[in-house]
Amino acid sequence: MNAALQLAGIRKSFDGALALDGASFESRSGEVHALLGENGAGKSSLMNVAAGLYAPDAGSISINGAPISLSGPALARSHGIGMVHQHFKLVRPFTVAENVLLANPKAHFASGLRDIRDAIKKQVDALKFSIDPDRRIDTMTVAEQQQAEIVKVLVGGARILILDEPTAVLTDAEAIGLLEIVQRLARSGTAVVLVTHKLQDVKRYADVVTIMRGGKTVATLDPRHSTAEELTELTVGQTSALPERTPHQGGPTRLNVGALTYTRADGRTMLNNTSFYVRAGEIYGIAGVSGNGQAELAEALIGAIDPSLGEIWVDGAGDISHAGPSKRREAAIAAIPADRYAYALAGSLPIQDNLAVAQIRSGRYGSIVRLDRAAMRRDAIAAVKDYDVQGVRSVKQKASLLSGGNAQKLVIAREFSREPDVVVAHSPSRGLDARACAAVHQRLIAARERGAAIVLISEDLDEILSLSDRIGVMTRGAIVAEFERPADRQAIGRAMVDHA
Amino acid sequence: MHDILRRAEPLTPPVPAASRGFGRLTLDVRQNLPAWKQAVFVGSSLILGLAISVAILAVAGIPPLTLASELAGVLTAENLRGVLIQAAPLILVGLGASLAFRIGFWNLGIEGQMIFGGIFAAAISIYDIGPPATRLLLMGMAAALGGGLWVLLVVFLKLRFRVNEIIATLLLNYVAMYFLFHLLYGAWQDSKTAFPQSTPFRPFERLTDIGYGVNSGLLIAIAGVLAAGWMIHLSRIGFYTRFIAANPRMAKVVGVPVRTATIWIIAISGACSGLAGFVNVASQEGRLTQSFANGYVFSGVLIAFLSRNDPIVVAIVGFLIAVLFITGQTLQVFYQIPFTMVQMIEAIIVMAVASSEFLIRHRIRWIR
Repeated sequence: MNAALQLAGIRKSFDGALALDGASFESRSGEVHALLGENGAGKSSLMNVAAGLYAPDAGSISINGAPISLSGPALARSHGIGMVHQHFKLVRPFTVAENVLLANPKAHFASGLRDIRDAIKKQVDALKFSIDPDRRIDTMTVAEQQQAEIVKVLVGGARILILDEPTAVLTDAEAIGLLEIVQRLARSGTAVVLVTHKLQDVKRYADVVTIMRGGKTVATLDPRHSTAEELTELTVGQTSALPERTPHQGGPTRLNVGALTYTRADGRTMLNNTSFYVRAGEIYGIAGVSGNGQAELAEALIGAIDPSLGEIWVDGAGDISHAGPSKRREAAIAAIPADRYAYALAGSLPIQDNLAVAQIRSGRYGSIVRLDRAAMRRDAIAAVKDYDVQGVRSVKQKASLLSGGNAQKLVIAREFSREPDVVVAHSPSRGLDARACAAVHQRLIAARERGAAIVLISEDLDEILSLSDRIGVMTRGAIVAEFERPADRQAIGRAMVDHA
Repeated sequence: MHDILRRAEPLTPPVPAASRGFGRLTLDVRQNLPAWKQAVFVGSSLILGLAISVAILAVAGIPPLTLASELAGVLTAENLRGVLIQAAPLILVGLGASLAFRIGFWNLGIEGQMIFGGIFAAAISIYDIGPPATRLLLMGMAAALGGGLWVLLVVFLKLRFRVNEIIATLLLNYVAMYFLFHLLYGAWQDSKTAFPQSTPFRPFERLTDIGYGVNSGLLIAIAGVLAAGWMIHLSRIGFYTRFIAANPRMAKVVGVPVRTATIWIIAISGACSGLAGFVNVASQEGRLTQSFANGYVFSGVLIAFLSRNDPIVVAIVGFLIAVLFITGQTLQVFYQIPFTMVQMIEAIIVMAVASSEFLIRHRIRWIR
């Protein structure tokens, strides 16, 4: 029998960065097929190709043995491919039935809604779900919204169901319930693809697992006949040699994060007693599967969110966990956030202003009544030269016109202009090419040599391993394990998944 | 095998857009458009808006040629004096609106702030506070304070309870209006005439001509334009406003005092509207009346919009809108067209310029 869905030799690059490098994948009816890999391995990209959202640069797609080309998600749907995204695609003020109708348009609204309601009831009964077609999405829990998404896809006639990290948003009990339903669905003849990074889910519920790493599919095997160690090794890859450098001298503690706790507005606890310290001249790497509180930790450190409990102690400044931005600046904390255009740059404003803004308050660029634009311009030109920011025709051009790597250099130029004592860097090389990435790493190492305490939060294990003096693994908002350099990649990989 | 394919048919087969035989329109977001091209877009939209207005007036019975001669008539000395008197409050509300819009605070409470500016100024007169020599200064300061406090109420609601400022400022206009009525039909009613208006201000409480037909109210407006221009373009708070408008989360992280700067800018916005109220009661009316603030929300938004929130351009646009107002009054008197017609022309111009904004941000392409 042919595979229900077959992807062969898929290549896809975004803006020069290769996301998929000849990935191949086959899913059969009646099977739960897990797609396992680290963040950025290309799992979601590959499935977005299957769902018709991304057009591949090369490679072929076939359904039940017949080659097809997918020009859009509607065409993929018509071939029976349905995808439930990690971030639900539901209209919140609409009811379940209206959302299903929106995805599966009918000729007449009123009669269409009636038909849809019947179809939903049938699916809900078959799957033993609990949702009511007439309830509004915004009154439902996350687990119920997910049920609505699955029903929406199945009412559309999907025979190939792709679930992207379905358990990431669920509690343990909800996750088990969902995975059992998914397993039943597969037994009744649907081809299910389960995109995940959770080893336990794969071991317990998948019939086949394909492992991705660096945009390639590296192995397809039966999870019941392989150990967790084997799967981990395939997922994280082999350890590469670490670059030589001067060993850490063991300076005084510069930053101490003590029992930091933060609960989001929706009630989820994102930081749960996070504790660690960083000494002068040390890079402390924080590894972990994304969504385990790293983003919130970075935001708490740079002052974008207010933690509910705990302290952020900085040598010389004391507890700054609730301090305003100016006090943090005085404490010489530099912030290199993951999302440059959210936290570090105002894209619509000139490069010169973006460089000057952090030091306006110190009086470096003139008094309250009169700004010294000539000084801003002078410093901006010097910074652009020192930090090798490419593509700057004038320091008055918009920051958004710079490429990712150069925008990042701009952020670092601003943040390092006052020789920081503490550096908070979150995924500093995300989306950068190799050259820009090396330049960023060099700056971090230079700051370390100078005696700064550096917190490096990254989902890229290679980056963490090559730069860090000590490594903490973050899971569910807490540091669950610590490793000294040189750390064992496999051991870190296991710590990341064991606690997940 | 065929069975499975049959079942894979969706409920309704989607029709790909490309196969319909026609082309379609797509929108691209523009990165950057040179300033002169932007000016061309705004200018041609303005001309289109005026052309539509002329056409509507022609339908209403005013031939374009008559319109042209009426417009020319505005430039006589007597009419020009009226234009300049009218321009002062318009420029001030334009400043009030543009300052708030600069940081993305949609202040639609200009009328309410004007009313409280007028009430505070009138209170100084009614309770006879301060020596005559400093009376006007005190009234002006009180008016700025009144307008500022009235808008700060909304700032508090927005920052504390995330109340939408568009609704809050707009509806508080009615609260201010009925409070004004409460005073004018009650405690502050003119006992001599029994009309719902306050007793006239004393001569030293009025903004008078300073020669060449120029009212001192215009000086307040010009001072406001210069102060706002300095604040936006040269001072530190102006620098902050650009970051607050562009990216408030980022501004906070890099050390911009977002909250303080926001509160100050909005308070100054309210103060400008308050001063506009003072100028109206102390120059045109000479007393607190029921309707001295009517219609200014719309004019303020219009002026801010046409000037793209630049204080210096506000002065020019404010003057032009004053010309439109005075021409409208003449047309009203001599051709019996309703004043709502003038407001409609304003609305047409706002829509024309709003659509030019869309063309500046996007490129429309036809794809076959």
